[in-house]
Amino acid sequence: MIYIEKSGWQGFRLPDYRVALDAGGHPNDHVFITHAHADHVPRDRKLTVHCSAATAALMRVRGFTGEARVHDFLQPVDLPGCRVTLYPAGHILGSAMVFVETDQGSLLYTGDFRTPPSPTTEGFEEPAGADYLITEATFSLPVYRWKPQEELFQMIREFATDALADGDTPVFLCYNLGKAQEVMHALAPAVDRIQIHGAGYGLCQVYTEFGYDLGNYETYNRDTLEGSALITPGSTLDSAMLGSIRRKRVAYCSGWASNDARRVQLNADAMIPLSDHADFFELIDFCKRMQPRHVYITHTPNPDVVSHYLSKEGISSSGMITEGKADE
Amino acid sequence: MSDEKRGPRNDPENNRSQGLNRDSFLQFCETMEDVSRTRSMNGKIARFAAYLGGLPGTGDVDLACRFAGEGAFPSVSGRRASVGHRTIGICAAEFCGIDYDLVFKPCRTATGSSSETIQRLMENLDEVRAKQRSSLPGLRQIESEFERLGQARSRDNKQALLHEIWTRLSPVEVKYFIRIMGQGSLRTGFEARSITPAIAAAFGADAEQVRYVHMITGSLGRTAALAREGRLHEAGFGLFHPLAFMLASPIESRSIGDLAGYVAEEKFDGMRCQVHTDGGEVRLYSRDLNDISGSFPEVTAVFAGKQLPPTVLDGELCVFRDNTIRPFQHLQKRMGLKKPSNKILESHPVIFIAYDVMFTGGRPVFDLPLGERRELLEDLSAEYHINLTRQYTIADEADVERLFNEALARGNEGLMLKRRGSTYEYGQRKKSWLKVKKPGGSIDTVIMYATAGSGRRGGTYSDFTLGVSVKDDDRYEEEFIPIGKAYGGYSNEELKKLNEAIKPLIADRFGPTLSLLPGIVVEVEFDTIQLNRRTKAGYTLRLPRFRAIRWDLTPADADTLRDVEKLYDELVNAERASQAGEMSFYRGGSRV
Repeated sequence: MIYIEKSGWQGFRLPDYRVALDAGGHPNDHVFITHAHADHVPRDRKLTVHCSAATAALMRVRGFTGEARVHDFLQPVDLPGCRVTLYPAGHILGSAMVFVETDQGSLLYTGDFRTPPSPTTEGFEEPAGADYLITEATFSLPVYRWKPQEELFQMIREFATDALADGDTPVFLCYNLGKAQEVMHALAPAVDRIQIHGAGYGLCQVYTEFGYDLGNYETYNRDTLEGSALITPGSTLDSAMLGSIRRKRVAYCSGWASNDARRVQLNADAMIPLSDHADFFELIDFCKRMQPRHVYITHTPNPDVVSHYLSKEGISSSGMITEGKADE
Repeated sequence: MSDEKRGPRNDPENNRSQGLNRDSFLQFCETMEDVSRTRSMNGKIARFAAYLGGLPGTGDVDLACRFAGEGAFPSVSGRRASVGHRTIGICAAEFCGIDYDLVFKPCRTATGSSSETIQRLMENLDEVRAKQRSSLPGLRQIESEFERLGQARSRDNKQALLHEIWTRLSPVEVKYFIRIMGQGSLRTGFEARSITPAIAAAFGADAEQVRYVHMITGSLGRTAALAREGRLHEAGFGLFHPLAFMLASPIESRSIGDLAGYVAEEKFDGMRCQVHTDGGEVRLYSRDLNDISGSFPEVTAVFAGKQLPPTVLDGELCVFRDNTIRPFQHLQKRMGLKKPSNKILESHPVIFIAYDVMFTGGRPVFDLPLGERRELLEDLSAEYHINLTRQYTIADEADVERLFNEALARGNEGLMLKRRGSTYEYGQRKKSWLKVKKPGGSIDTVIMYATAGSGRRGGTYSDFTLGVSVKDDDRYEEEFIPIGKAYGGYSNEELKKLNEAIKPLIADRFGPTLSLLPGIVVEVEFDTIQLNRRTKAGYTLRLPRFRAIRWDLTPADADTLRDVEKLYDELVNAERASQAGEMSFYRGGSRV
């Protein structure tokens, strides 16, 4: 049995091994950060943390000033009483699942993950199995089944080229870390120029440094916008910035775009259900492959639905409530 | 991904066009999907018009417009498929092989739409895809399926029918099938007032004439059929088909520059009613176009006795006793009764007070200006002794204020301001009629439950169950008990803030509903308080809405059930000026 406790906003601790997962934990804990999204990074920006190289670089752009002990994926790290390995999670650049092996069994904490992985990540790899699995379940209902990635990328490219051909600026509403870069990567072969809202630009540079093609991009500039695709967070939809662009077509890119209600709420021209997370069916398959003794389900208001399906597969599970909804 | 499950594309009955048959239901559904995705109203109209123009037969055009804007049955028929939400949900869960409470309900909460949930489950679940194959039914086959459902009596029969029909439809067809069956909006942002210009565009007809024909026939399907055949001029208005009512806007939401351009009438605290009468034949229709003649036999009998020529009137049903209009709470006792007893007919007698006329002298008069309709109505009222609302001319705010207070003194709700020269804007809520109402009151309540909304508000907690305090009340063991459920009155900003603020208060979840610890105080405004024995409190608020979120107050500041009881007594027993002297209406048409 590995004892797990909740820690911080959305994280966990393994007190017997002094390992904290996406949480500041206690003093002298080994803090592992799965990825650079704000809901997974402790509030204390001066901590010493363990993470992947890309996660460290992205956290620094977002104001992290502590020490980052960087580990390669699939390279085990020996700590007192346990061995920890990072597996690429396919969610955003740098995202990792944390695999902890102890004499009490093994535990896999997924952080956020996506299978099949985003092409702007280090891919997705999983251990052969885990005794205990703490999994996110953001899209934990059978109404969520994603279209093939290539089909979605084609939608993105066609939306952009159609708009540009008509003299409109294609505007993609997407979260500025992860989704923005994936959309840019999809657009790169199809459009000549991309502009990105200021907050996202520095993050894009990290992707470029790590060798990902995000096309020909620059920060948003009203005067030179014409002929570019624009990438901007959803929160700017009603902003003066978007208001000042008279000829535009707006696409919302998120797993939540699969819900019709979002279309009406956002009043967007296109809804592109491109998610950073596994869909429901992939989630269940993944849990099955891990052959766990027990699954802890987090990041969802509906852990009971996942439990219900896992129990049909003979897998024991329970919900672990964390607050808030994941950024998408 | 979705093509493989559509099944064969040859329909034995129709082989007019290659590819998808134009009169297939699937083509209709895909057109509506396209309309839904299109943002501009002109774009929506153009797409639907192109679809209508391509339909092979007049019957198809009729059905396509009916399905798009009315429902499974023509809205004037008053018929319903009568399949409840729960029946549909349970049937869908069973069809998909999933647990209704455990899986279906959370999915519905997440999407905010039962029909969308069903569509997506059918698309996503392999075992469902295996048993579903669209037979590509035509619009007419779908109509006959609705007919069968309408005739099925028991819930079991309806469920068996639904199950059988769904095996022959694709998921998107099922979604629209369910939405049409609900006789409500298809949620494509494309409603009746946009369908009429599409009909005009499809068949080169005059948009104004199409609108008018829709107004007098009450049927989009029939209007479209006439337009296609160039026979719009033949359309006539027939009695005993209810018409959509003209609606009023709250005065707060409109700024009016020229009060003198309006006349005022008192707004009765009753029930809106449309009277169709021709000699001894009389029908009463409610605001939702149901035939309510049987519930108000005394009103029906009075009109039958008058032997009017064909006439359609708009007005209000009120309980009238001892020369006063009784409060709405009294009328409420009559509203649910299909066959009222002699006893209640005597204790709660109902009268009809007319305030508009839509048909008289052998022709529809919607398009006459208000003043001319009023003259016709006054003539009818005088000749046939029909109760007629009193009309006042107003010049300024002071007049409105004075008349408003007089109306309240007589127990009425407030005033209706009607724009001079306005036509009877059938089914529309515009600036021509304005209601000036005083809220019944407001109380401070605590949010007890939050429920995720549906449709536009899917995925957000937007419905709030509000409670009053019974902490010091011997009759109860709880601290708070529910008094009403409010869905509006807050801004988008406030709603966002509320959604954040409830997070730390979550005590439990029941499907889409969160049970909350007492923490947030809301000042809720309501029209009136009603007795309701089925609730724990024994009272419910009518039309409760947020007036303010009182971040400054704590649950200890909430009003108590005793406060509500006191308010109720005040509302019901308030002195009402009798109609003996200065009256709200002319009784039996006799002008004072």
